Amino acid sequence: MAPSVNEPPARNWADDDDDVELDAANEATLGLPETVTVEQPDGTRVTTLWKINDDGKKVKVVRKTRMRLIKSQVNHAVAERKNNWKKFGEVAGIGAGPDSNSTSFAEKVFLKLSSTVKDHDAPPVEEEGDSLKKALAAAAKSKISCRICQGDHWTSKCPFKDTHTPLGDLGNNEAKDSGSDAGAPAGGAGLGAGGKYVPPSLRNRGPGEAMPGSGSADRRDDFPTLRITNLSEDANDQDVKDLVSRFGHTSRVFVSRDRETNVCKGFAFVSFYQKDDAQRALEKLDGFGYDNLILHVEWAKSSRD
Amino acid sequence: MRPILLHGHTRSLTKVKYNRDGDLLFTVSKDAKPNVWFAHNGERLGSYDGHNGAVWDLDVSYDSKRLLTASADNTCRLWGVESGKELFRWNTRTAVRQVAFAQGDRMALYVTDATMGQPSTIWVVAIEEDLENQSDEFERKIIINGPKATVASWGDLNKTIYTGHEDGTITIWDAETGEKIKSVKSHDSVISDMQWAPDYGYFITASKDHTAKIFDAKTLRVMKTYTTQRPVNSAALSPIRPHIALGGGQEAMEVTQIGGAKQGKFETRFFHLPFEEEIGRVKGHFGPINTLAFAPDGRSFASGAEDGFVRIHYFDDDYFEFNYEEESLTA
Repeated sequence: MAPSVNEPPARNWADDDDDVELDAANEATLGLPETVTVEQPDGTRVTTLWKINDDGKKVKVVRKTRMRLIKSQVNHAVAERKNNWKKFGEVAGIGAGPDSNSTSFAEKVFLKLSSTVKDHDAPPVEEEGDSLKKALAAAAKSKISCRICQGDHWTSKCPFKDTHTPLGDLGNNEAKDSGSDAGAPAGGAGLGAGGKYVPPSLRNRGPGEAMPGSGSADRRDDFPTLRITNLSEDANDQDVKDLVSRFGHTSRVFVSRDRETNVCKGFAFVSFYQKDDAQRALEKLDGFGYDNLILHVEWAKSSRD
Repeated sequence: MRPILLHGHTRSLTKVKYNRDGDLLFTVSKDAKPNVWFAHNGERLGSYDGHNGAVWDLDVSYDSKRLLTASADNTCRLWGVESGKELFRWNTRTAVRQVAFAQGDRMALYVTDATMGQPSTIWVVAIEEDLENQSDEFERKIIINGPKATVASWGDLNKTIYTGHEDGTITIWDAETGEKIKSVKSHDSVISDMQWAPDYGYFITASKDHTAKIFDAKTLRVMKTYTTQRPVNSAALSPIRPHIALGGGQEAMEVTQIGGAKQGKFETRFFHLPFEEEIGRVKGHFGPINTLAFAPDGRSFASGAEDGFVRIHYFDDDYFEFNYEEESLTA
């Protein structure tokens, strides 16, 4: 706990602990060149030191450091505490700065905030019936109602948001239709009002509805979207999310799955908030080897084109 | 971000708390030695030596001069924050679970456990500016008939006292008369934490029933519910973003060696306050997180866990830039 004898008393807390050990090692092994610190014109400091490593070989260590002074204004009470208060209790008498016995830096951790976090600890399959009941009960109580299918989720999370327009814009028949089969893939809603076949390009258009792109409901479709193909069968939403989230925030990650087997069908759509992020993702991921397949990435064509 | 790891405790953490300025972080654990740290670099300023049992709770005065600690050694103690000296001691018959300064720091409450035939009791005591006059007499005593109180705090303007109980009930007491004003049972299990919004309009509770809830302070109506798959030990409200942080994880006694840290879900989980959706999580602890606190400026948070470590996390810049699609549309 007490500082070692040869340790300079005014050691900066930010110094790496290894330095002390290296210095000690230096003194022990005579004949090595001395540690040299050179101040560079650009403000960086280059420290060169020599040591003997575990295999008995001479090693040169060059360490470049840049010091940056960050000033911040604080309340005078805070400054008083920081500058004048003496340590007490278990740490009484120890010099200023964090003691390496009680304070250290942990491994880097990441907090990527995103609206598409998937819950890994969803209950396992055997509890499915139970959790379904709970979900249904919760749905009955919940006041959240999707504007598109009136399901128990936010409108932006609706599985039909790309294919349907909000219910208010449609005939009542259609409303019941799509509302009742919530959960089935969007393709199930192929029959329009009156059971007449409607070509996909014209589906979900109520009378007098605005052309795509002009309505406010279409705004979320404007996010730049990539289509990733040649995905591995094992890929799930989280994998794809991990893969693309390093390029920027994503508004949507969708991995196409087989209806029966729930296995990935080999392609996915990813929408970014920023076009630049999408562009970078496209450049970096196209041709990227992933799970022994080579990904193919291209701009997704809008479903309305 | 690179967390600062504080290992000044030898046993599991029970509470971490920032002072009002956010420059000091107080931590208490079951090892009987409260610690105080500089929050900006993790330097330990000192320890408050004297307790002989687990320390369950702490509170620090508004001017950061005095510290109250609640301990299982049947004492509640008042300390000088700078000196580390014990200034006063209240002896109790049972373990002290909770302690809180009232706004203005002229009063404090502490809650004693229901053991050895004693009922769970809230004690309100006056805190004198001049310690010469400090008395160990209580001002008021509220005996809790029924399930024992696990969390307690003052309501707005010290008019009320809020308690959370073992069975999931939340009760409001009149601080003047000691009468029960309202009682609502919205949780199914022990309430493990309760933290106020800055304006005292609402508060958040964490419970072992795997949920955290936001309550309207006046009506005790549940406004939001955040559901997880593990007991929630602590819930904190961000002072600047519409985010909450939940800490918890599998009970320490149920953790198997084979499962390891991965299975226990020992992560700090961030939820979006109005949307009730999870937006991110921070890994790092090896045991359930017992206590969480946001720094008053909202730019960092500290977590204390069953593994005996405290971690201070300073958010990266992108934390402050994150917005929901819906949020950015209105902005």
